[in-house]
Amino acid sequence: MAEDLVLDTAIRDWVLIPLSVVMVLIGILRYFVSKLMRSFQVPDPKIVKEGHIHLFSSFTFRQVIVRARNLRGAANFIPPKSFRSRRVYFSNEKNLSMIIPQTLTFAWVNFFFSGFVAAKIPFPLTQRFRSMLQNGIDLSTVDVSYVSSRSWYFLNLFGLRGLFSLILGEENAMDDTQRMMQMGGFGFDPSKSLTAEKDGLDIVQHEWALPKFEHRAEAVLKKLVS
Amino acid sequence: MAGHSDSSSSEKKSSEAMNDVPTFSTENMQNNMKVIYYSRTFMSIIGGVIAGILGFTGFMGFIFYFLVMANTSIGLIAKAKFSVHLYFDSWNRIILDGFMGGLMSFVLFWTFAYDIVHIF
Repeated sequence: MAEDLVLDTAIRDWVLIPLSVVMVLIGILRYFVSKLMRSFQVPDPKIVKEGHIHLFSSFTFRQVIVRARNLRGAANFIPPKSFRSRRVYFSNEKNLSMIIPQTLTFAWVNFFFSGFVAAKIPFPLTQRFRSMLQNGIDLSTVDVSYVSSRSWYFLNLFGLRGLFSLILGEENAMDDTQRMMQMGGFGFDPSKSLTAEKDGLDIVQHEWALPKFEHRAEAVLKKLVS
Repeated sequence: MAGHSDSSSSEKKSSEAMNDVPTFSTENMQNNMKVIYYSRTFMSIIGGVIAGILGFTGFMGFIFYFLVMANTSIGLIAKAKFSVHLYFDSWNRIILDGFMGGLMSFVLFWTFAYDIVHIF
C-alpha cells in the first residue's frame, strides 16, 4: 500500500523548518559560547569540580572532546603518569557535559511536536523500525516511511554536524564512532558516543616512544655523517 | 618533517620515508584530512538536495550517493596528482574517510528536499 499521503503545508512551515533552524541556531550558540569559555579558562575547572550540573558547563564539552582526541592521538609522546591523570580527568568531565543540551532539545521536540506525521523519508525501511520512527502515530497501516517529528529531530542531529563543520570553520568535535551509525537504540545515542570515546581512551595502549627517539636520532645522525 | 605546501592547492606533502618508523608531519596530514572531509560533506549536501529534487527514492538514492562519493574520490585523487602516498598515509583515507558522516548529511538533505518538492 504505497498510496501517497498529501501532508498539510502547515506542517512544513511550522515543524520541519523551525526544528532545523532551531537546531542550527543552538549549534551556532554552542560554538560561540565555547569560544567565550575558552577565554575564561579558569572558571571551567571550578564549575566541574563543584559538581553542579550547571547549564554552562555543558558548553565545555566541545573543547573536552577535542582535547581528549588530541590526547589519544599523541598519547605515546608524553610520560605515563601525566597521560593517566589526563585520561581520568577527561572520563569524568565528558559524562557530565554533553548530554544536557541534547536532552533538553529532545524533550522540547517531544512535548510540542508529537502525535502527527511530520515527514516522509524517501527510502523504505522494514517493519522493525516502525516503533522507533512513528512513536506518536497510532495507526499501524501507515507506511513506515511516514515518520514522526522525533525521527526528524534525530535526522537533523546527525546530518547537521557536517553542515556545522562547514560553516563554523572547524570540526566542532561532534565526534562519533562506528557504533552510532547503527540504526538501533536511538534514544541512547549521546551517552553512547561518550562511552565510545571513553572506551577509545581506555583501549589506547600507552607505549612511551620517547626512549626510542634517542636511538632513532642516533641512527639518523649516523646516516648523515657517514 | 617534510611538509612543503603546494602553491595552488591546500593539500600539503606530508610524508618522509627515510626513517624506519615512518613519521608524518601531523599538521599537514590533518590539513589534508580536513580538506577531504570538507569536500565530502559539501558534495553530500549538494547531492542530497539534487536527489530530493529529482525524486529519487529508495535504492536509486543510495546509488546516487555512491556515485557522488566516487566522483569526489576521483576528484581528490586527481587533485593529489595521482601520487596519493605523498599526501596521505594510506589509500583508505582518500576513499573511505568521511563516508558515513557524509551519508547522514546526504539523507537529511535528501529527505528535506524530497518532502518539500514532492509531498507538501
